[in-house]
Amino acid sequence: MSFIEYDVVIIGAGVAGLTAGAKLAEHGFHVALVTKGEPTACLSTGCVDVCSLSDHPLDGIDSLPPEHPFHLVDKSVIKESLHHFQAVMIDMGIPYAGSAEKNRLVMSALGTFKKSCLIPSTMEAAPQHTQESVHIITFKGLKDFYPGYIISRRRNTKFSVYDAGVSTTMSIASRFEEKDFFENFLLWLEKLNIAEDRIAFPAVLGLESAAEIFRTLSMRVGKPVFEIPTIPPSMPGRRLFSALKKNFRQKGGTIYWSWPVVGTEKTGHLIEAVTTFSEGRPKSINARAFILATGSFVGGGLTATRETILENIFNLPVHKSGPRETWFNNDYFSQNHGIGKAGIMADVSMRPAGCAWKNVFVCGSILANTEILKNGCGHGLALATANAAAQSCAEYLSHEL
Amino acid sequence: MNYEHCIRCTICVENCPVFRVNPDFPGPKQAGPDAQRFRSEREKAQDEWVLLCSQCKRCEMACPCGVEPAQIILNEQQRYGKEHPQTPAHLLFANNYYLSALGSLTAPLANFIADSKAGKYIFQKMGISTHLPFPKFHFDKMSREKKSLSRNARKVAFFYGCFINFYRPDIGRKIVRLLATMNVDVVLPPQWCCGLPALGNGNLALAKYFAQKNASSLSDYIDAGYDIVYSCTSCGLCVLHDYPGILKIQQGKKIAENSYDLYEYIIKLMNEGYASPQFETVRRHVAYHIPCHLRALGIGYPLEKLLSLIPGLQFEILDDACCGLSGSYGFKKENALTAIQIGNRAVSLIRKTGAENIVADCGSCRMQLSGLSGIPALDPVELLCESLNLSVKE
Repeated sequence: MSFIEYDVVIIGAGVAGLTAGAKLAEHGFHVALVTKGEPTACLSTGCVDVCSLSDHPLDGIDSLPPEHPFHLVDKSVIKESLHHFQAVMIDMGIPYAGSAEKNRLVMSALGTFKKSCLIPSTMEAAPQHTQESVHIITFKGLKDFYPGYIISRRRNTKFSVYDAGVSTTMSIASRFEEKDFFENFLLWLEKLNIAEDRIAFPAVLGLESAAEIFRTLSMRVGKPVFEIPTIPPSMPGRRLFSALKKNFRQKGGTIYWSWPVVGTEKTGHLIEAVTTFSEGRPKSINARAFILATGSFVGGGLTATRETILENIFNLPVHKSGPRETWFNNDYFSQNHGIGKAGIMADVSMRPAGCAWKNVFVCGSILANTEILKNGCGHGLALATANAAAQSCAEYLSHEL
Repeated sequence: MNYEHCIRCTICVENCPVFRVNPDFPGPKQAGPDAQRFRSEREKAQDEWVLLCSQCKRCEMACPCGVEPAQIILNEQQRYGKEHPQTPAHLLFANNYYLSALGSLTAPLANFIADSKAGKYIFQKMGISTHLPFPKFHFDKMSREKKSLSRNARKVAFFYGCFINFYRPDIGRKIVRLLATMNVDVVLPPQWCCGLPALGNGNLALAKYFAQKNASSLSDYIDAGYDIVYSCTSCGLCVLHDYPGILKIQQGKKIAENSYDLYEYIIKLMNEGYASPQFETVRRHVAYHIPCHLRALGIGYPLEKLLSLIPGLQFEILDDACCGLSGSYGFKKENALTAIQIGNRAVSLIRKTGAENIVADCGSCRMQLSGLSGIPALDPVELLCESLNLSVKE
C-alpha cells in the first residue's frame, strides 16, 4: 500500500469540489482532489443558475422550502461566493456577466429562454426583449442545432449556414482556434452584410482561446454577438471546467484522475484515508479532513437500487422522498419527481446528518432537497455550499491543530 | 467491457484528441460502446476506423460511469488486425523491437540510412511518415551495461524499455546512478519489448509473446525480493494494465502489485525515510507535459512533488493536451496529419507558458513536442541529476 498525506482530500472534480479545493488551498492547506472521471459540469451550459423561480435570485432563495440546502448558507456567503467566482473567472480569462441581484435571459437552441444569474460573457448579448431581430449563423451538417426551431418562435429571425468542413460542436470549436480558418470565416461573415440587430452562434466559438476569438469577432462585425448553448458536447461547460481546474492548480491543489474511491479507513470518529483500486496495489490517500462533492446520480455520488438509494463513498444515510412509489411522477416531463429530493442532509457546518465521522463535509448537488431542475439552482448552489463547506473545514482544521 | 453502463453523456468525446481534428474518426463513444452493441464474434470485424484511435486512454480517464471506451476499441483493433491483412507499416511497428535491435547493432549505418533521402523515400513508400527526425540508434545500448553489485537493503529490477535501450541509453544510466545514490541496488533483468507497439498495431499474438517472456523474467526477480521500477509510462501502463487485462498473463497481477513508476518509487523511499536527496537550485522555467499514459496509470503525478522540491525551478503542469504521436501511431502516414494537428495544439499551450524547456516522462512525447516546437525537451531524470549534481560518463 502506498500512502500520501494531505490536509484535505476533496472527492469529486465538479464545480463544488474544485471551488472548495481552491478555497482551502488558498488558505494554505495542502489539498488533493480525487475523481473518478470528469464532472457533469462539462455537460452543462456553463451558466451559473442561483434560483430561477424569480427574476431576483436572492428573493427566489427566500421562497424556497425551508429544507432547501440554500438555507444552510448565510446570504452574505452566497453573495460573496458569486463575487469571488466572477473575479476568478476574469483571472482565468473567461469573464462572467450578471450579478446576484437580477437574473438574465439566455437563449436556448429551441428559441426558448432560460433564466440564469451569472452567464458566460459570450451569452450576454442574447436578446432580453422580443422586438430585437436576430441573425443566426449555423454550420453545415451540425447536428442538434436547427435554427428552424428558433425561427418558429421568433418572427424577426434569419439564418445563414457556413461550411466549416466538419460537423460537430467539438471539431468546429477546434477549427476556430486555427488562425486561417477564423480569418476566412470572418471574411465570409463580413460579406453577408447582416442587417439584423444581433448575431447568434451555436456555442462553438473556440475552446482555449474562446474569449479572444469572441472579442475579435464582436469587434469585426460591429454588432452584439452571442452564443446559444448546445446540447453536449457543450463548449461553455468545458471552458468552465477547464477554468476551475486551472484555478485550483494555481492555488496549489493536486488532482488525481481516474481515482475512483472504493474504500475508506476509519478510526473512532475520524475518516483517516480513502482508498482506490488500481491495477497494482491498493492506493490510499491520508488526510485530516474530507469533502464529499461527488454530485448526484449522473455525477456518480448516488446510486439508486430497486429498494433504496445509496451514497457511494462513505455509505452515508440518504434522505429520500419516501418509498419507491414516491420517487417518480407519472408525468415524465414533470419537475416534481420525488427523486430530485434525494441526497445527503447536512447541518449548518456542512457536516452530513447522521454521520459518525466529524471530519467529513459535504457540498454541491449531492445535498438533499435541492430539486435542481425545478428550482434552477445548479452551479449557484454548488458555489455557495462549497464555500460554506470549505470555511467550516478550514475552521475544523485550524482548531484541531 | 461494460459498454451497457454508457449513458451517452459525450464527456469522452470532449476529451478525444483524435476526434477534435480528424472527422473520419467517429469518436470514442461511437467507436466504443455504441458500435460494440452491433459487433458479434461470429461476424468479421469491419470498422476500419477503429485503427484511427491512438489509444491515449483520455476517454477512460474522463468517463464518469466507468465505461472503458479505449479498451473496447483496443479489443476491436486486435480483432480487425487478426482478420485483415497487415500493412507494411503495421508489421514494422509491431516488430519495432527486432528492428531497433538491428538498428542498434548497426548504429552508424542505420542512423545514416534513416536520415538519408533514399531512406526517407523508402519509409514513405512503406506508409511511414517522416515529419519528425527518427530517434538515433545507440550501439552502446542499455542491456550491455555491466552489473554492479553491492548489498543494499533495497533492490530494484529496472524495466528500462526500448526507448532508453536503443535510443537514449544515457538516460538509463542516469536513472541507475540516481537510484544508486539513494542506496538502491539496481539490476537490469533480461527483458524484451513490453508488447504495447504490437498491441497498438493489432498484433495480439506477438504482444502476448513479448509479455510472457517479460513476465517470466520479472516474476523471478520479484520472487528474489526485487521491486520492479519502470520509467517509460507507456511500458508501465502496458505491464500494469494490459498484462493482467487483455493479454491475460498469469503472473500479471503479481507484477502489477510490485511495479513502481520511477518517481513514485523515489517518493516512496523518501516517505519511508530511506532516502533524503538534497536538491540544489536549478534556474529553469519548464512546462511539464503530462503523458496521457501517466494519467492513465492512476497514480497522480509523482514527479510534481519532486519538482516542487527543487529550489529555483519554475514549472507548470499541462495535462489537457495529448502530444498526438502515441508511439508508432503518428509515424504512420495515414495518421501523420492527425498527429501533427494534435501536437500543434499541445505546443500552442506550451508556448503560452513561456517555458524554456519541455519536461515529459515519455520519450515519444518529448520527440514530438520538441520536434514540432523547436523547444528543447528534457527527461525528468536529467533535471533531477542537474539538481543533485550527478553526472554520468558518456
